[in-house]
Amino acid sequence: MKPHRRKKLGIILFIAAGLSVAVGFTAYALKQNINMFYTPTQVAEGEVGAGQHFRIGGMVKTGTVLGAPDSLKVNFVTTDFVSDVPIQYEGILPDLFREGQGIVAEGEMDAAGVFQASRVLAKHDENFMSPEVKAALDAAGASADNHMPAGTN
Amino acid sequence: MLDAIQFSSFAEFVDMGGYGFNVWSVYALFAIFVAVNLILPLRKKQKIIRQLKRRMTLDAEIQSEDDSNGD
Amino acid sequence: MWVWFSKLGSPKWFYELSGKWLPWLIAAMVIFMAIGLVWGLLFLPPDYQQGFTSRILIVHVAVAGTSLAFFPLMFVAGTITLVWRMKLADMVAKNAAILGAWFSFVTLATGSLWGSVMWGTWWEWTDSRLVSMLFQLFLLLGVISLRSALEDSDTAAKACALLSIVGCINVVIIKYSVEWWNTLHQVSSPVNMDASSPNGPEFWIATLIMIVAVYLFLSVSLILSTRNEILERERKAQWVQDLVLKS
Repeated sequence: MKPHRRKKLGIILFIAAGLSVAVGFTAYALKQNINMFYTPTQVAEGEVGAGQHFRIGGMVKTGTVLGAPDSLKVNFVTTDFVSDVPIQYEGILPDLFREGQGIVAEGEMDAAGVFQASRVLAKHDENFMSPEVKAALDAAGASADNHMPAGTN
Repeated sequence: MLDAIQFSSFAEFVDMGGYGFNVWSVYALFAIFVAVNLILPLRKKQKIIRQLKRRMTLDAEIQSEDDSNGD
Repeated sequence: MWVWFSKLGSPKWFYELSGKWLPWLIAAMVIFMAIGLVWGLLFLPPDYQQGFTSRILIVHVAVAGTSLAFFPLMFVAGTITLVWRMKLADMVAKNAAILGAWFSFVTLATGSLWGSVMWGTWWEWTDSRLVSMLFQLFLLLGVISLRSALEDSDTAAKACALLSIVGCINVVIIKYSVEWWNTLHQVSSPVNMDASSPNGPEFWIATLIMIVAVYLFLSVSLILSTRNEILERERKAQWVQDLVLKS
């Protein structure tokens, strides 16, 4: 390679490396701010200040969904299998909302320690299955969707 | 092969299990996206060739007057 | 200037070579698109949770995955332009930015159409996957407007190469955002060879066919627009004039 070309290539690679390092440091510094939600464990450990509006993400604990029959009010417990947080919500739930499913709720903790959600989103995991495969797996007793999706870190 | 089709009627096919609007919007958008990005370059090529042809005939007409200045 | 152009015979070489490849690429693209779309719309089984919205995802995944190829491609092309002064690479980079913006937009739109029924929201500003993909779209729009403002100058090539570096870093962020941070967006589905487990062949074969189809489409569209660019920039060359006369 001719010297002036090598010099130019060097400059380009130097800028590329410099920018990557800068972005890397920024992303690392912003790590918590970039997270979309807190896990129930983080909430239990007091990482969220009192009265703060925030998002919480976890699984809907099986057998905890209680809905009032004549209203859109619903109560359930979200868990990351370490800590639990009870949630109260009034509104339309997304189609994917069900027990054992990942959710993200937005709102704040009340004095009784119940998370008053103004919004509930369903989180889908990375597993795709036809109903036949799901039925076969359930029959074999190896349900594949009962693990925590991303968000445990 | 045919019994692997997921629908038993055309209405079911359109409905997509209640998600017809979203599924068909995605496929329509994808079709437009692919068509536009193939048809536009093809039409542009025809336009470029048409323009170049016109310019070349024009150039040929004034060629004789311009000949002494060429290098 | 003119000597410089003619010394680099490569646009002509590319035009002739790509002319030979195009019919084959188009044929392969049509075949894969047809198989992918018919499979996707008729044969793909519903997902046990999301029903037939799984059909949205084979298109979304194919377009989204392919959209990540644009900035690396533009970075390589930009480097070749700046270091080896190859005009052809600059033409590829210019057209890749426009096509890449389309890909990013379709990724966001198809994702929204899925999210609006599955997540319960069509957009979340706090999700790093969504926002980094939007950033890619804006970066590409930035590259396009920079080029149109600076025309085909050396400054444009330099500025766009610089933005391509930022774009490549952003591609890494898009890719790993779902693993590094808590997001609403799910992580990538692993491919599973076993037909009786999650993410088995019933889903990934159709997705793979769509990915191949979309990559072929990318190649065909990019080659077509680059050939147009060559015709415009080389319109004074003898071989272009011969070509125009023959057509």
